[in-house]
Amino acid sequence: MTPDVPARPRWQLPRIDSRERWVGGVAAAVAREIGVQPLVIRAAFAILALAGGWGLLFYGLAWIVLAVAQPDRLAPYRPEPKAASPIHRHIAVGMIVVGLLSLFSQIGFAFFPKIVVPAGFILTGILIAWTHSQDESGVAATARTVIGVVVGLGGLIAFVLVSDSFVNSLVVVLVAIVIAAGVGLVAFPSLARIGRELDVERQDRVRADERARVAAHLHDSVLQTLALIQRHADDPARTAQLARQQERELRQWLYGTPATRATRLGPALEAMAAEVDAAHGVPVTVIAVGDTTDVDQGRIEPLVAAAREAAVNAAKHSGAPRIDVFAERLPDRIEVFVRDTGQGFDPDTVPADRRGLADSIRGRMQRVGGSATVHSAPGAGTEVELVLPLLVDTVEPQQEVSS
Amino acid sequence: MIRVVLVDDHALVRAGVRAELEGHVDLVGEAGDVGEAVDVIVATKPDVVVCDVHLPGGNAPAVIRGVVDRGVTTRFLALSVSDAAEDVIEVIRTGARGYVTKTINGAELLDAVRRINDGDAVFSPRLAGFVLDAFSADLGASGDPELDQLTAREQEVMRLLARGYAYKEIARRLSISTKTVETHASAVLRKLQLSSRNELARWAADRRLL
Repeated sequence: MTPDVPARPRWQLPRIDSRERWVGGVAAAVAREIGVQPLVIRAAFAILALAGGWGLLFYGLAWIVLAVAQPDRLAPYRPEPKAASPIHRHIAVGMIVVGLLSLFSQIGFAFFPKIVVPAGFILTGILIAWTHSQDESGVAATARTVIGVVVGLGGLIAFVLVSDSFVNSLVVVLVAIVIAAGVGLVAFPSLARIGRELDVERQDRVRADERARVAAHLHDSVLQTLALIQRHADDPARTAQLARQQERELRQWLYGTPATRATRLGPALEAMAAEVDAAHGVPVTVIAVGDTTDVDQGRIEPLVAAAREAAVNAAKHSGAPRIDVFAERLPDRIEVFVRDTGQGFDPDTVPADRRGLADSIRGRMQRVGGSATVHSAPGAGTEVELVLPLLVDTVEPQQEVSS
Repeated sequence: MIRVVLVDDHALVRAGVRAELEGHVDLVGEAGDVGEAVDVIVATKPDVVVCDVHLPGGNAPAVIRGVVDRGVTTRFLALSVSDAAEDVIEVIRTGARGYVTKTINGAELLDAVRRINDGDAVFSPRLAGFVLDAFSADLGASGDPELDQLTAREQEVMRLLARGYAYKEIARRLSISTKTVETHASAVLRKLQLSSRNELARWAADRRLL
């Protein structure tokens, strides 16, 4: 990643993390900022809430502030442990709670339940209904909306009940709506701008991530290979081999193999070809035709292993500049040809070491009910033919119905 | 001498190909993008155009169409690092007479240019593999079974090409003349260009194999 990460601002608002929240995540966010357990702050809010509803009011206000302050979200956020020890932090929280309680007792607990409790409920209901996180499932979001509406309506009803008269409470609600509308009108442009900026930032980030991903891949693969090639500039064979290996990898990365037409045999042979090339420095071209997804994997593996033996044999002994591998799925069998245009040999008078290889190829094929034939003549190259008959229990490709 | 135009957006590739063909053919022009290529080909009217598949301002098919639109007749050999069926099949169906990969060696490339000049088709093993795969897949009937299927002999020729055999070796193996092998290859090329168009294109798009 880029080393020039912007320095952390000296002060940031606590950030709400939707994974930590019980109600709105405010307590958890504050707790993280201060450096105490979320439970401590939750308890503090609960105690203050019991004191005539002040805690609910504080919680609601804090929630609004933190929710609106979301633009900070993209900046790096790492709350650092405060200088004080954990004990000091807990004492501080306790002192704040006690101090607030005594302050509230001066203002009075009695008046506030009438306004603060219902208002707190309404506010909480609205927040529960409207705030949502992206990682929430549809069911959770619906449940959240329902709970929010119920809590909010409960608050409204409580409002009406505790008020002296219905008309009075109606006036209070209307005033509240007008105030809310006013605040909304004032705040809307900046909220909309923040939303747009967030969108732009998110897109930029997606693009930057994609760029970083491509850059990382190119660095790990292509640039490394180019460096290796420069170091081996005096060794043409090694250079060519490195280039081929890199080409194969890049191709694999760019095009991949789609699952829809995934032929098991094709990719297996490609991998085999890459290994033989890497080990022996002879390019191996693989052409695979047809779909082998219905063929038992246990029978494909010996076939690939036999093809590998043949290719290694050709790479070591034939002297050919390249090896061609052709595999075809026919309705009743799979055929694999491994061919080189090298010096060839007379199959009847093979040296012992090559007979051994031929036997091991033949042995592998025979164990899965197949066969191997070596075609060669001095000066005419060598071709190893592998045939794997498919048993009747393999799924036949769907017969087309002519209409 | 065969008059050849070379189209590739990479100067290095052009230099490499030029070095391999020089002295054996008459290189009458070079181009690095579609517009330039069409102009050069129309101006020089070469026998054979050796054309990269991927070009700035469009691809090889755009060059072929552009040249045909301006009423010039020439033969195209597609040269590419792309082994995607989509690209290979498209350029052949637009009218290229052959497709070879850039890993081809100088002698093979020269042989391919000569064969194209003679009006024959040039199949790389990869293209032969695609043909076998395409014609064995169920592409739906287009109403002309003649064009939708390969004959047994054509299949044999394609298999041997895919296995890396040269035309001469194929002729020897099948006990037929090289000219007959070329006739089969041309017939297959014609089928590839004319048969069940949409299905073949879709097959190629689906098969984004390595």
